[in-house]
Amino acid sequence: MHIPDGLMAPVILAIGWVIALAVIAFSVFKVNKKIDEKTVPLMAILAAGIFVAQMLNFPIFGGTTGHLIGAALAAVLVGPYAAVIILTVILVIQCFVFGDGGLTALGLNLTNMAVIGTFVAWGTYKLFPKKLEKVGVVAAAWLSVFAAAFACAFELAASFSLSGGAYGIEAAISLPSMLGYHAVIGIGEGIITGAIFLYLAKVAPDIIKTRKPAEEVTT
Amino acid sequence: MTEKTYLKAILGIIILFAIGLVFYFIFSASYGDGLEKTMENAGVEEGEPVYHAPLDYGEDYLTAFFAGLLGFGLVFGISYAYFKIAGKKKESKEAK
Repeated sequence: MHIPDGLMAPVILAIGWVIALAVIAFSVFKVNKKIDEKTVPLMAILAAGIFVAQMLNFPIFGGTTGHLIGAALAAVLVGPYAAVIILTVILVIQCFVFGDGGLTALGLNLTNMAVIGTFVAWGTYKLFPKKLEKVGVVAAAWLSVFAAAFACAFELAASFSLSGGAYGIEAAISLPSMLGYHAVIGIGEGIITGAIFLYLAKVAPDIIKTRKPAEEVTT
Repeated sequence: MTEKTYLKAILGIIILFAIGLVFYFIFSASYGDGLEKTMENAGVEEGEPVYHAPLDYGEDYLTAFFAGLLGFGLVFGISYAYFKIAGKKKESKEAK
């Protein structure tokens, strides 16, 4: 879902940068204030693991593939503000080192995946009671992908309308296409995120058990 | 978690990545993702990038594996450094 250069209207790109930079700055402020040093290795391994997982596209239908975003996994394990920073580091490395996503579109990619993906996941996860936590993790993962895709489809449609068709893709194509593909990709995100969460609960229960205080240090 | 557990986790992720990459090249490498497919459906082509990155993910298993390892290292290093510095800053503020 990495937006390349030249696809979106300049005004939409600018809005993406403003939103992304504001939320990242606030996240840095929150993390700097409340970080627990004991969680540092976990956060770094999580970030690096999400990076390689994003490289592994899985097939869905009609010759299309999807990949893990990882915003939900990061949000439920280390809290939303640390998750925003983790996703930011990943997206910046992908853009500057590997050319994945355009430089001008980096603000929008950060907004869609690091900001919207993370906070939608976090909000969804928090809606579920403790006894339905695992369902909440899967729902958060699916909805984070769907919301990020909806944002991207909206940006495509807005770019098309604002530029008179010079940029973006009209809503009649962008919305059903993006939402259709990502509704299925989101299932993959839900399965992978749920499986990792269950695995960690089994092999490293200290991460899951200490997650509440850990999440408080970054919320 | 102990240092040994973290090292095991790193090794586990790299092994899973090495295995996952095999399936990626068998099933997915030649297809676009949801956004690329949407662009294809709309007849929109990817524009010329404003910035040319020094590397890409590679077209074959070995190149992609080493690109993944490099990215893994970079993301790990930068995240670790940032969070560690943030933790130290907070600690020194609290000590004052």
